[in-house]
Amino acid sequence: MAIATRALTKRYRDVLAVDALDLDVRRGEIYGFLGRNGAGKTTTIRMLLGLIRPTGGQVEVLGRRVQPGTTASFARVGYLVETATAYPNLTVRENLDIQRRLTRAPRAAVAEVIELMRLGELADRRARVLSLGNKQRLSLARALLHRPELLILDEPANALDPAGIVEVRELLRSRASEQGVTVFVSSHILTEIAHLVDRIGIMHEGRLLEELDRDQLRAKERLYVEVGVSEPTHAATLLADAGFAHVERADDRLRVYDAQGRVPEMARVLVGAGLEITELAQAHEDLERHFLRLTRGAP
Amino acid sequence: MFARALATEFLKLRRSKVTWFTFAALSIGPLAIALMMWIVREPGRAAQLGLLGTKANLSGLTATWPAYFSMLTLMVGIGGMLLLSFIVAYIFGREYTEGTAKNLLALPVGRHWFVLAKLVVAAVWWAVLVVAVLAEALVLGAALALPGFSATLAVRAVHDALLAAAIAYLLAPVVAWIAMLGRGYLPPLGFALAMLALGNVFSHTGWATWFPWSIVPLYIGAIGQRVTTLAPSSLVVVALTFLAGIAATIAQLRWADNAQ
Repeated sequence: MAIATRALTKRYRDVLAVDALDLDVRRGEIYGFLGRNGAGKTTTIRMLLGLIRPTGGQVEVLGRRVQPGTTASFARVGYLVETATAYPNLTVRENLDIQRRLTRAPRAAVAEVIELMRLGELADRRARVLSLGNKQRLSLARALLHRPELLILDEPANALDPAGIVEVRELLRSRASEQGVTVFVSSHILTEIAHLVDRIGIMHEGRLLEELDRDQLRAKERLYVEVGVSEPTHAATLLADAGFAHVERADDRLRVYDAQGRVPEMARVLVGAGLEITELAQAHEDLERHFLRLTRGAP
Repeated sequence: MFARALATEFLKLRRSKVTWFTFAALSIGPLAIALMMWIVREPGRAAQLGLLGTKANLSGLTATWPAYFSMLTLMVGIGGMLLLSFIVAYIFGREYTEGTAKNLLALPVGRHWFVLAKLVVAAVWWAVLVVAVLAEALVLGAALALPGFSATLAVRAVHDALLAAAIAYLLAPVVAWIAMLGRGYLPPLGFALAMLALGNVFSHTGWATWFPWSIVPLYIGAIGQRVTTLAPSSLVVVALTFLAGIAATIAQLRWADNAQ
């Protein structure tokens, strides 16, 4: 396993930030660690890296237990946690040179990662003057510089523009497929990582609610029929009375989840009651909705 | 690993304005003392230039090398101790203020090496600063052609200033620990000021030779009755404070939660 936690727990006085987390990330996979703000993602990542001490349980990274004084496994780990930071008085190149020296990476690694992250034009600018997005690129470059076997990235898309997000996604995918790098990536936006990851773990209130592999993720994309109809509230009541059990209101439309094979019947109910159907379309449930359903307790 | 950590710690000072600020701050000291000496010696010309000759005369100063050296030692001992606290607060506290501490914590380099490397950087910075300021003071004193110079006096004065600077350095790891505990610049600076004030209080209670922050002021004559040699107990107290400070700083970085 690249990452294994057992009953990992972190408590801050009255707040249980992470509650008995058992997590297994296999070598070579891209694991998406999803959760809303405050779900316990960053706290978990801090414990994986030994930045904070667990209240209970244990962590193994690349086969070695993480405890105070651990250094050996971190030679093979690259990470970005919380906000992007750098020494403001030093240039991009100098900031990366610090990382190079501390990870014993070859001299050429700095130039390589500058090119990889498209930081060439900024290489001799001080970190103080970088935009947030470029600071994020610098932090990602720092994580990638020593060609780690495991990347632990906390919200890597923060502050990046849409093109930057796609670029980083492609980069992570290629690191995983071409170099066998394990990627553990957290996000609070499912769509941002849904098409990147091999597996996803959904955290909520310190607990791992659900783990899904790629096939299961696809299966969760539920089919529904979206109906544009006059008087949607009345229409929802009519459909419920007619035995359609899963009807949801979405703005001025209805989403009917159990309409497969019953579309003509549904249309008859509505038209028969004198309502006007303006639109009728079959659609997938967005994964985001599944995530919200899980973490908000929606039906 | 220590060499790597040390090299990166020196690299972090590149283009830092704080290094120049500390040199400027401490080098103003000998200039101010030399100016006072000149005003005392030539009150008429000082008054013509609008300088406060009367006040300088009233302070009971004499424009001699012994008086000049005495003030210089006070400046290095008290002002320097505060300035060194500022240096240590910067070296250690900046990692939290700039948010970079987390980048040091999951590396193939033991965290204790960063503490030791930072303390070495502080030692080098402090030593260069003190030696430069003493050289500046000797040049200024010579330029003023103050009376009463002797080689013995100069050696004694430099010895006192260097010893005061060394003792001040031995207290610095505690300031480093406070910087890590407080995660920034302000707590260690507040701590240093509070310790100096407490040192003054202890000087009146007979505990001065036992309280670490009273020992430098006592030795240079800033508080209480000036002592000419340090009591062995004082040296033990200072040495223990140094070791305890290092141990506490390493323990803080190794065991405490280091989230920002």
